[in-house]
Amino acid sequence: MAVAQGVRPTGQGAWVPQATSRRSRFIDGWRRFSRHKLAVLGLFIVGAWIVCGLFAPWIAPYSYRENNLAVSQQLPSAEHWLGTDRLGRDQLSRLIWAARTALIVAPFAVTVSFALGLIFGSLAGYLGGWVEGIIMRVADVLLAFPGLLFALLLSVTLKPRLVSMMEASSVLKDLVRSGYAELIIVILALSVVGWPGLARLVRAQVLSSKNSLYIEAARASGVNTWRVIRQHILPNILAPIIVVLSMSLGGAVVAESGLSFLGLGVEPPIPSWGNMIYENASNGLWRTANAPYLVWAPGAIVSLLVFAFSFIGDGLNEALNPQIGEGSR
Amino acid sequence: MGTLLDVKNLNTRFYTQDGVVNAVNDVSFTLDEGETLAVVGESGSGKSVTMLSVMRLIASPPGRITSGEIMFDGRDLLKLDDDEIRQIRGNRIAMIFQDPMTSLNPVLTINQQISEVLQLHLGMDKAAAKRRAIELLEKVNIPEAARRVDDYPHQFSGGMRQRVMIAMMLAANPQLLIADEPTTALDVTISAQILDLVKRLKKEVGMAVIWITHDLGVVAGMADRVIVMYAGRIVEQAPVGELYASPRHPYALGLLKSIPRLDEIRKEKLEPIEGLPPDLINYPTGCPFAPRCPYAIQKCLEERPPLAPTTSTKHLSACWRWQDVKR
Amino acid sequence: MASQVSQPQAATSGAASSQDTLVSIRGLKKYFPITKGIIFQRHVGDIKAVDGLSFDIKKGETLGMVGESGCGKSTTGRAILQLHKPTAGEVLFRDNGQMVDLVKMKGEDLRKMRRRIQMIFQDPYASLNPRMTVGNIIAEPLEVHGILKGKAAQERVQELLQVVGLNPYFVNRYPHEFSGGQRQRIGVARALAVNPDFIVCDEPISALDVSIQAQVINLLEDLQAQFDLTYLFISHDLSAVRHISDRVAVMYLGWIVELADRDTMYRNPLHPYTKALLSAVPIPDPAIEAKRERIILTGDVPSPARPPAGCRFHTRCPIAQKGLCDVQVPEFRNVGNNHFVACHLVPDGAG
Repeated sequence: MAVAQGVRPTGQGAWVPQATSRRSRFIDGWRRFSRHKLAVLGLFIVGAWIVCGLFAPWIAPYSYRENNLAVSQQLPSAEHWLGTDRLGRDQLSRLIWAARTALIVAPFAVTVSFALGLIFGSLAGYLGGWVEGIIMRVADVLLAFPGLLFALLLSVTLKPRLVSMMEASSVLKDLVRSGYAELIIVILALSVVGWPGLARLVRAQVLSSKNSLYIEAARASGVNTWRVIRQHILPNILAPIIVVLSMSLGGAVVAESGLSFLGLGVEPPIPSWGNMIYENASNGLWRTANAPYLVWAPGAIVSLLVFAFSFIGDGLNEALNPQIGEGSR
Repeated sequence: MGTLLDVKNLNTRFYTQDGVVNAVNDVSFTLDEGETLAVVGESGSGKSVTMLSVMRLIASPPGRITSGEIMFDGRDLLKLDDDEIRQIRGNRIAMIFQDPMTSLNPVLTINQQISEVLQLHLGMDKAAAKRRAIELLEKVNIPEAARRVDDYPHQFSGGMRQRVMIAMMLAANPQLLIADEPTTALDVTISAQILDLVKRLKKEVGMAVIWITHDLGVVAGMADRVIVMYAGRIVEQAPVGELYASPRHPYALGLLKSIPRLDEIRKEKLEPIEGLPPDLINYPTGCPFAPRCPYAIQKCLEERPPLAPTTSTKHLSACWRWQDVKR
Repeated sequence: MASQVSQPQAATSGAASSQDTLVSIRGLKKYFPITKGIIFQRHVGDIKAVDGLSFDIKKGETLGMVGESGCGKSTTGRAILQLHKPTAGEVLFRDNGQMVDLVKMKGEDLRKMRRRIQMIFQDPYASLNPRMTVGNIIAEPLEVHGILKGKAAQERVQELLQVVGLNPYFVNRYPHEFSGGQRQRIGVARALAVNPDFIVCDEPISALDVSIQAQVINLLEDLQAQFDLTYLFISHDLSAVRHISDRVAVMYLGWIVELADRDTMYRNPLHPYTKALLSAVPIPDPAIEAKRERIILTGDVPSPARPPAGCRFHTRCPIAQKGLCDVQVPEFRNVGNNHFVACHLVPDGAG
């Protein structure tokens, strides 16, 4: 059975063959993604991060918290590839454990703000009217406020109260003891300020998709609002959202490090790339011990991840939009 | 009357990721001075690409004219450099498109756009150019031309824009007008106005017209001669009366039988052409219409019929069985 | 102000809601508000896309609706389906022997009624969700109306594909793998899935190639005979409408100006606009074309935001009478033989 394989005119007589291949969308997308060499590199970097985060206990040669003053402030050696800090902790091991911190925090923050952004954005775009008015005005206010500052404010004012509340609960007590609870509060604060940007994107996408004929066709055949959003609008606006998602993961890693650097995120002894920079920079160790890599190694890792996510974002953009970069238009 | 345009063995290809698209294949035709030639075909038939090739307007890449000769007034257009072809375009060959907005500059007034042509090609001064622009707008029946000449394209309706385009095209006094589906996007009553206008201007100016369309009705009222294209190939070529009265290619016959007619008396079943046009990347070896053709025999699948004279030297058909094809 | 007067209602076209009436439109209006201002949206006017239509559609017939762009024919189709909520008027639909008003229905009740009334769209490229397989597209109406689910739904989809002349093996393909004509068949299959009574066909062949148009027209005719369907066939193609319709309504600027049996309409058009429209359609026969007299209308269709006073056609009408046509709104009336026309200058009994 011959499938439609004619060419159809696009624009003024420029002819492009109809996409007729029966390769799956996935393989097709991967082909386009892999053409982007930097994106593949980014994928490797992110992969390394995830592996380090998941298997830190097995990969890291030493414990991240055990002090060993006998080997304090050592330069790199066969035993300690990146040397040790003032308390004799192996720096490489701490960097690897810090990957786990970032791996817990970043996806969590992004997921929350994305869930909020998707829900509010699609409701605003699809329903319009006063619903849209309220949601978008709130988003505007939040957008006008510097995100990090807002997170700081929230953490300064709410953190003590929330922590004491959590300590009172038997379930959450352990979380507080583990040292991650404070961070989660800050991340929640970041999520609250993080969704408006995405909500705007989603709303714009929904608006353009809402007026398309296939949405009208779905409504005409009796599909209800919720299913229209879920089945028809979301899959069609997913591409740009996935791209932004990838980019924001990089942003979330920076935010986590930044907060930890400022002493508002993860607190020692739990390592975070941010608090490692702070610790090693503030006590002047990196200068006295002639070991600048104590500061720049964690910094470089954060930058590398940001670049990696941005490259992946570019690659995804091409993979998900067949029209871009095909050169035939 | 002399021959104005003589196209020989024109081939145009598009090099895409999925393969080479054989958009125009061995197309040859001539056009006399003052003649109206209609090029009929469906989307993908190559009718627009053929004419864009004649104008050297094929985007490259992906497109390329791979071989052929386009003699216009004694010169081969394919051998001209970019400056020379620009001189011919807009000056001696004009083109109007389905969507006039694509060729009108939205930030310039109509006067600025028409005057530009007049000042550039005819060396008129500003005041004379404006007077002429108003004259041209009047010629295409735009009411209150003197006032509207300073309007912007968006201030005109679709039909009026097409008139403005025609006025612009007339500015340079071209010998040949190529009209690519100029009335397809317009309503019937507006389309009738434009057809009427072009017919009148053609007589007044004495230019030749190539009218690209899929509408067999428009062709019947406009053309002297008709070319029917299918899969990038000319399958039939005939004087307009003969084509409608006794088509000699099954595709042309099929088209005529498949369209409902306004003057249809009884309600009969339409006779559609079953199937789909062929893939222009994996171009069939035999007759490209054979898989859909009720007259097809084994030979049609194996050997491609040449475009050859039938009942007269003016009536050509690319069909092995043209003698059996009857209305 | 006279220009604010919408089309006056005649009793109605055809027998008033007789037993064979499936859909009955009464005084249907759809205005789109024109607003100004960024924060405070002031309502400064209306685009009167549809302005007071009344007509009936009989069970099993095809009512053709023709007119030029902007005349309101597509809006009428959408207003009947409640895709655009009408500004005023009634859309009565026969349900279990009773006429129910779709305009008054809301939410779940209306959604359930959609099972009975389906639509086929003009653009087969845009009306199919590019990220759904053909199987899921056609099965969706079955699922949302709780008719069939899962495997049973997929079986029905394959059956429907066969009915519209496609290979059932195509279920797992995506719309971009099909040609325009094939996609329109998919659209038809989707509309058929829930066994509707009434289908609004909005320019279903306009985006298709000539040789493919005939395939789709024949398909629609076959299905009508097979499933006892009623069509509202909206098109600007007067030849196609003549071919497929039993009765034809001609629209101009939000009004129906003429409504009659197909043959009556084409043999004996009464409204000057219908006459001009018919004369403007080219006929694919050079011998006839050479002899035809064209009525070339001057000017463009006025804006539906500021329709002319009196008869809306008077600004372009070749026979308009000053003091009558530009002042008084013509009544849409039966001039005999169920031939309805809205023109002062057509005498009673002309039908």
